[in-house]
Amino acid sequence: MTAHGDFLCSHCSLPVGLRPMERRLNGEACAFCCYGCCIAFQVKSGRHEEWEAAWLLIQLGVGGFLSMNIMMFSLLLYSDAFTGVDAGVLPWIHLLLWIFATPAVVILGGPYLREMWLNGIQGRVTSSALIVLGVAAAYLYSAFAVFEGSTHVYFDTAVMVLMLFTAGRYLEAVGRARAARDLEPLLAAESESATVVDGAAEIRRPVREVSAGMLVRVRPGERIPVDGVVVEGESNTDEAVITGESRQVTKGAGSKVIAGSINIDGPLLIQSSGDGTATRWAGICRSVREALGRRSPTQRLADRIVGVSVPLVLALGGLTIVYWAQSLPFDGALLIGLSVLVVACPCAVGLAAPMATSLGIGRLARHGCLVRDPGVLETLARVRLLAFDKTGTLTAGKARLVGVDCEEVGIDEVLARAAGLERLSEHGLARAIAAAAAQRGITPLVTRDVRTVPGRGVRGSAEGRPVGAGNGRLMNDLGWPLPPSLAERARSLEASGYSVVYLGWGEQVHAVLSLDDSPLPEAQAAIAALRERGLDATLLTGDLAQAAERIAALVGIKDIQAGLSPEAKRLALDRIRHDHGSVAMVGDGLNDGPVLAAADVGIAVGSATDLARETAALVLPADGLWMLPWIVDVARAARRTILTNLMWAFGYNLVALTFAAFGLLQPILAAAVMAGSSILVVVNSLRLERLPDPVPALIPEQRSGAKAERTQHDAGISAMAGPAVERS
Amino acid sequence: MIYYLVIFAAGFAGSFHCIGMCGGFACALGRDQRGGGATILRHLLYNTGRLTTYCFLGGLAGAIGQVICTTQGLTAPLLNGSLDIAQRILATVAGLLMIAMALQFFGLLQVFHRLAIGFGGSTFALSLRGLLAARSSAAPLAFGVFNGFLPCPLVYAFAAQAASTAGALPGFLVMAWFGLGTFPAMLMMGGVGRILGPAWRRRGVRLAGGFILLLGLITLGRGLLPSDAHIGLAWLGGHPA
Repeated sequence: MTAHGDFLCSHCSLPVGLRPMERRLNGEACAFCCYGCCIAFQVKSGRHEEWEAAWLLIQLGVGGFLSMNIMMFSLLLYSDAFTGVDAGVLPWIHLLLWIFATPAVVILGGPYLREMWLNGIQGRVTSSALIVLGVAAAYLYSAFAVFEGSTHVYFDTAVMVLMLFTAGRYLEAVGRARAARDLEPLLAAESESATVVDGAAEIRRPVREVSAGMLVRVRPGERIPVDGVVVEGESNTDEAVITGESRQVTKGAGSKVIAGSINIDGPLLIQSSGDGTATRWAGICRSVREALGRRSPTQRLADRIVGVSVPLVLALGGLTIVYWAQSLPFDGALLIGLSVLVVACPCAVGLAAPMATSLGIGRLARHGCLVRDPGVLETLARVRLLAFDKTGTLTAGKARLVGVDCEEVGIDEVLARAAGLERLSEHGLARAIAAAAAQRGITPLVTRDVRTVPGRGVRGSAEGRPVGAGNGRLMNDLGWPLPPSLAERARSLEASGYSVVYLGWGEQVHAVLSLDDSPLPEAQAAIAALRERGLDATLLTGDLAQAAERIAALVGIKDIQAGLSPEAKRLALDRIRHDHGSVAMVGDGLNDGPVLAAADVGIAVGSATDLARETAALVLPADGLWMLPWIVDVARAARRTILTNLMWAFGYNLVALTFAAFGLLQPILAAAVMAGSSILVVVNSLRLERLPDPVPALIPEQRSGAKAERTQHDAGISAMAGPAVERS
Repeated sequence: MIYYLVIFAAGFAGSFHCIGMCGGFACALGRDQRGGGATILRHLLYNTGRLTTYCFLGGLAGAIGQVICTTQGLTAPLLNGSLDIAQRILATVAGLLMIAMALQFFGLLQVFHRLAIGFGGSTFALSLRGLLAARSSAAPLAFGVFNGFLPCPLVYAFAAQAASTAGALPGFLVMAWFGLGTFPAMLMMGGVGRILGPAWRRRGVRLAGGFILLLGLITLGRGLLPSDAHIGLAWLGGHPA
């Protein structure tokens, strides 16, 4: 017994030996004594069930049993094991071959025959017709030969052709099952069930029967089936499918949870906040299913070519037989014709686009990016120009305090008073001011009698004196004078697109606070990364030119068109398209609906909750801008894969067809060649699985850090104490 | 005939290794709810599938051996015992391969683990799992067929032996006898489950290793020793014919 003697093979419990085969399977460390045990263990302990592939495998196994018997006896025939004394058994061997071949042809050829029939009654001739005709010819010819006592039988050819094609189909099914695995979490929404807690009872119910207010229990490892609020329990969740957020999010009582996220490590009791079918997850599920059901333009084209080519190939096969029959015995000519039919079968073509597309869609979906039309990936890969909307896309869409101008008072006092007044307000500008004060560590001044003046601002009283914050009209109403220098400053700020808040107390306006939308921290890196990929960016915005220019300079866009109404945006987009070919538009989905619909590829970033009304073809999760370069990469990889697949499938067919027509390719070899081309297409497509995950210049963890860094070199809060901002 | 009996015995002893590996499958196939008859049928189908694959591999290996020998321009006279150069080389290679396999059974040589890794079967394994769960009554047959193809040193060793016979028919017979040798233990596994402890199985594996080593040495001897000194031929009652 060796030093490793204590380690037993995870499968057969024999000592693993000096150098065990170590693998991690289902998160467990396993050691195996041999590779066979390793596979056996995976087979026995795995969780996935892929039914279609399994069914094909049964067919293949039974077919394999029969065809191996046929091959074995054929092999014995070819190697002349029955010559001489045993020659008398030859007819019986042939009969035996026929007995094995008949069920094999029925079992393996049945699906092709059915397919040919179903297409045939709709007036279409598909590639399965080629296989059926070829194999039927070989089989029938051999069957007649058996009963006539002739020695030329080709059962092995007929059966092996079917075996190889079925093997190709099996691999295709495996590939599709693998592609579906990425999409599985998205497509699960409709079939998922939830554990509903009703008093003491817990009942499993389909998600669509869950309505608002119901209590749902989610065990660790389960997917959270409904949107809601945690009532009880604590756990980490993985929301990547919905939000694209790759970090785990900790949830406790009172936190909101999103349907579709995975509950990782603790049981949760959730109170549903809406219908099970109204979740974003369910919406995503519906739209992914629709997208997968559609065919991309490339695929439609390929299908049309296949439709035309099948009758041509049939004619070619017929001609080949007629031609060779003049110089060869009929069975030889028949075999050459069979080769032609088999090798021309364009099965790989039908596979080329859908697999790559669904893998690409699945890949994106895993990170919360939703593709609503399979053609989008191909179009996006061709795009050379991206048009961006400003507010809510490149910017946070939220105001931020960028400057304070004051007269005769300190900036801290201004902020203390402003924050005291605005502390409780929900208004965007008010929140920005309160946040800025909090960031500088200023305690808001206690303010009483705060009340909102609609359309004007807020007023209250602090230290016994009235305080007011709002626009110019509020100050007019109050009759508080505005010092000329501040008035001048405010006018110029407003002209260049800032939002301005006046702050006054003691019967006078003392300060002008300027607020602006700030660019998203990841915007600059994303645009730089896009530029690296040869993509140009342009800004189309309805905002004022100065504001647009400021943001554009910060994120690194040179081309700007500002002050556009939605209609004008669409026209601008048309003009750009005229110059650049296809254009993608990135917008926030709600306000930019028409433009997104008009672009070749509409990309909506987050925000939109109602997917049914979404007009964009590609929907990114909120804060998903950083993924844009990666999405372009995926789209390009998918397109490249589709093109190489098609080129391979068609090119291969043409070359092999030539060989076959000249009688240089045996039918079995021809079938192997075709199965090989299917395998290549599948393997080539599965390479998409290995694309790197998005590694953004700014992943969410770094965002807060980046924000602090960034504020130092633009007009940020931390710079407010500086002379440039404190313009008193 | 004794030659085939040795192979049968090796298969029988080797099936204790199979119990470790394939026995798991046999157990997983388990009992049929429709009663004992259906269960036996299930396991017969499974084992028939396995046997067919072995026979096919044997016939194929033998035919390949035959092709190698005849393309050398030399005849392959199996009957009179005068072995030509190609067949000697084949026998030497096969013998060495079998000895290597045998040593592996004793836990001494682990290279073949590394070689087998390139097989890339994990997708295949995923689908075989589907077969185990499938309701179809043909599934055990299909399962047996694929099971036969799973990389297994025992099967490799006998495929090498089959190739060294340089004939489709004797190759087929070698694997057929080997396969039949594994029948009793595997059928038993299906019926009674894992009754044998690891210690017993380890002994079986050693025994199988011994048989394979013996066969390997004989095969190697056929390749290296002069014709008239063929203990193998004399002792085993003439090489397969």
